[in-house]
Amino acid sequence: MKKIFKILTLYHLIFINPVLALIEVDITRGNLDPLPIAVSPLHVDIKSQEHEGLKVKELGTSISEIIEKNFKGTGLFNPLKKEAFVQKPDIAHIKPRFEDWRLIKAQALVTGKLLVKDEKLKVEFRLWDLTASKEITALAFTTTPSNWRRVAHIISDKIYERLTGENGYFDTRIIYVAESGPKNQRIKKLAIMDQDGAKTKYLTLGTELVLTPRFNPTNQMVTYLSYFRNMPRVYLLDIETGMQEVVGNFPGMTFAPRFSPDGKKIIMSFAEDGNSDIYTMDLETRVVERITNHSSIDTSPSFSPDGKFIVFNSDRSGLQQIYVMRSDGSNVKRITFGSGIYGTPVWSPRGDLIAFTKVRKGRFYIGVMRIDGTGERLLTENFYQEAPSWSPNGRVLVFYRETKSGKKGEGFSAKLWSIDITGYNERRLETKTDASDPSWSSLLSK
Amino acid sequence: MTFNTNLRNIFLVVFTTLILSACSTAKKTGNVDGDVYTGKETVKYLASGVPDRVFFATNKSSLTTASRATLRKQATFLRKNKKLNVTIEGHADERGTREYNLALGERRANAAKDYLMTYGISGKRISTISYGKEKPVNPASSALAWSQNRRSVTVKVN
Amino acid sequence: MTKSLIYSVLFHSVMILLTVLTLPFMIRQPIDLPPIVSVELIQISDKTNIPFAPKARKIIEETKKKEDRVVSEQAPPAAKAKEKPDRIPLPNEKKEKKQIVKKKQNPEEIKPEIRQSSEFEKKEIVDTNQIAALIDKAKEEEAVKQKKTNKLTQSSVKNSFATGLSLSEEDALRAQIFGCWSVPLGLPYDKNLLVRIKLKLKKDGSIMKSEILDHERMNKPGQNFYRVLAESALRAVRICQPLKVPPTGYDKWKEIQLNFNPSEMLKG
Repeated sequence: MKKIFKILTLYHLIFINPVLALIEVDITRGNLDPLPIAVSPLHVDIKSQEHEGLKVKELGTSISEIIEKNFKGTGLFNPLKKEAFVQKPDIAHIKPRFEDWRLIKAQALVTGKLLVKDEKLKVEFRLWDLTASKEITALAFTTTPSNWRRVAHIISDKIYERLTGENGYFDTRIIYVAESGPKNQRIKKLAIMDQDGAKTKYLTLGTELVLTPRFNPTNQMVTYLSYFRNMPRVYLLDIETGMQEVVGNFPGMTFAPRFSPDGKKIIMSFAEDGNSDIYTMDLETRVVERITNHSSIDTSPSFSPDGKFIVFNSDRSGLQQIYVMRSDGSNVKRITFGSGIYGTPVWSPRGDLIAFTKVRKGRFYIGVMRIDGTGERLLTENFYQEAPSWSPNGRVLVFYRETKSGKKGEGFSAKLWSIDITGYNERRLETKTDASDPSWSSLLSK
Repeated sequence: MTFNTNLRNIFLVVFTTLILSACSTAKKTGNVDGDVYTGKETVKYLASGVPDRVFFATNKSSLTTASRATLRKQATFLRKNKKLNVTIEGHADERGTREYNLALGERRANAAKDYLMTYGISGKRISTISYGKEKPVNPASSALAWSQNRRSVTVKVN
Repeated sequence: MTKSLIYSVLFHSVMILLTVLTLPFMIRQPIDLPPIVSVELIQISDKTNIPFAPKARKIIEETKKKEDRVVSEQAPPAAKAKEKPDRIPLPNEKKEKKQIVKKKQNPEEIKPEIRQSSEFEKKEIVDTNQIAALIDKAKEEEAVKQKKTNKLTQSSVKNSFATGLSLSEEDALRAQIFGCWSVPLGLPYDKNLLVRIKLKLKKDGSIMKSEILDHERMNKPGQNFYRVLAESALRAVRICQPLKVPPTGYDKWKEIQLNFNPSEMLKG
């Protein structure tokens, strides 16, 4: 009996066990390859009418090209070449032949169609998952034909959102200082453009020095520093009307302005008898509030997205470091302790990170850190670069770089650059002239 | 006779040696002392013997002995010309962040102004303005250029 | 003549001395060579391919060692050489070894039944084998590796016991999926982002059916990132078909679960 029992238990141990267990394999790594996506030119409905100033027949291709360029710029998507496309735009939009599209190694497909009629532009697009062989998003828009570029950017945002889980940042603008001329006699103008470099517009004439423009979260107003009449002061500019007005009535230089997240206040530095402190001014009531009161230089203030905290730059410890305080100026805490100097702190619109410029041993770095100062990550190094500004989804930073110049200032140039917060995808932004001091708007379509 | 020619030759050799070695040591003394420019190249004059500017070390707004001497000369000049008003421009080099450099320029301008005031010049006669790093006098990217750009310049207003 | 020669040489040397003194010295920096890191390549499939359940395995292990101890006392070292872990065997060799191991184990199945009748006795066997293992170092290493199950991940230990997917076969599958999975870079470094996919496979490695465990989470509001991660995992699995599966033992691997965890990639 015992023998039989032993044989049975052994048999059980050897042969029954395997059937109960399920193989589990942990997948902890993948590649960082961009997703291959095919953006088919949008089909232009034959009923479309002519529209002044627009090449309506080419609109379908133009829109798809903007979407492709947007995707390529993120480093997350790899738009495939059009020559490889297997179906005509009108058919692909109704019923794509998935196996054929998969042959060109695409994993996602964008198709669409548009109609220009009665002074209106109607656009419809579909996003297909080729590996699952099904449609995953479809949307339609109606707008004025002249807004066709924004439609392309909004479509890009919707697709980006669906495939990454994040809000997009394509339907946005960047304001910056356009520069020209010899290095010791630069002409500077305020300029605004779409984030892809299109539709550049100059907002000032270049007769006086202008610096550090920043967007209001509602995007109607801009605040900046101007040396109008040789008196450096913070100004407000309405982009739509072009009207400018000085902020407050300060008896000395005001500079480094930003808006509060609700757009109702300006926060800036005011220099009195050589000492710079941080002040706010309510745009409605015109009430001025003093936030810091220290014999050191306090500047470059930036609000947290909930408006409760301010991060700023101060040399009260001897050298430039970054500090965080409550929005009433209380509870000042230093958050940078590494070697080198830290400047230009900016709070991410997601509230989770602070971007900054660091200078160490003669090299300039753009970096991010958590709001308590830990987790410092330097993203890029250069001879000279500074002033990062966040994309509205808190994933990309735009900043500017200057090159070394020769004995007479030759070889000098300033350009806008952007980088993802993962440190990948560093690229130069196209601007018509040299550029510096960029600031990124929030999404226009919100 | 031979002795004199020999002596002459010796002197020639020693003389040329000294000249050659002098050339190679020019860098050591230079125009920059402890990061503060001490040369005369970019300096203009308010009047004969009155330099119009003082220089600073990196990130600093403190006055050196030489700076104070220059400012004393300016004070004397201003006391003699009681109707003259001035603006002091504060500047910084390009090796810093833009906004901080604006504040630093302001500090430097005021450091010069305060010193002039201790020598009896009324504050009402002196205004200050900071240009940060926006108006370099030397556009090169070199330590020398940067030291020449870190300055406070006194400019006649009327 | 000689006098002027002497003077000439003297002043020339003085000149040279002065020139040398005024020139800056060039300090030679020592060249910094990076330390050489030695990498040892080992083939571990023959060690991890244990086709039997845990308890029985231990017993078989011990008895195998006991037998080998006897062998090693008599047999020449050549017999040991075959089991050395550092040598990378050729594919033919590997197969041969597997067969050899299997052959050895089959006759032994009968023996443990006689020897082992209770837990207490099993322990005794273990103890004696510890001493035996000290004599034969190669065997001891192997035993240690088997006993230290924490060296292998939990899932792979389960695998090696239950299924016949050796560590190297599992690594091959994992490497294949690594190549197909495009990790969405935009995901936050959130420890909670783990997607488990259960797959039913055909014999050739193609997918019959795929199922996301916790699929209710996909449609919950605010679970954008989970959905994006799950979709990326599904895409990876679909593109990777046919999966690299072993040529035999279909019953053991026809259902597998893949756990996609991007936290390591996102830390960067």
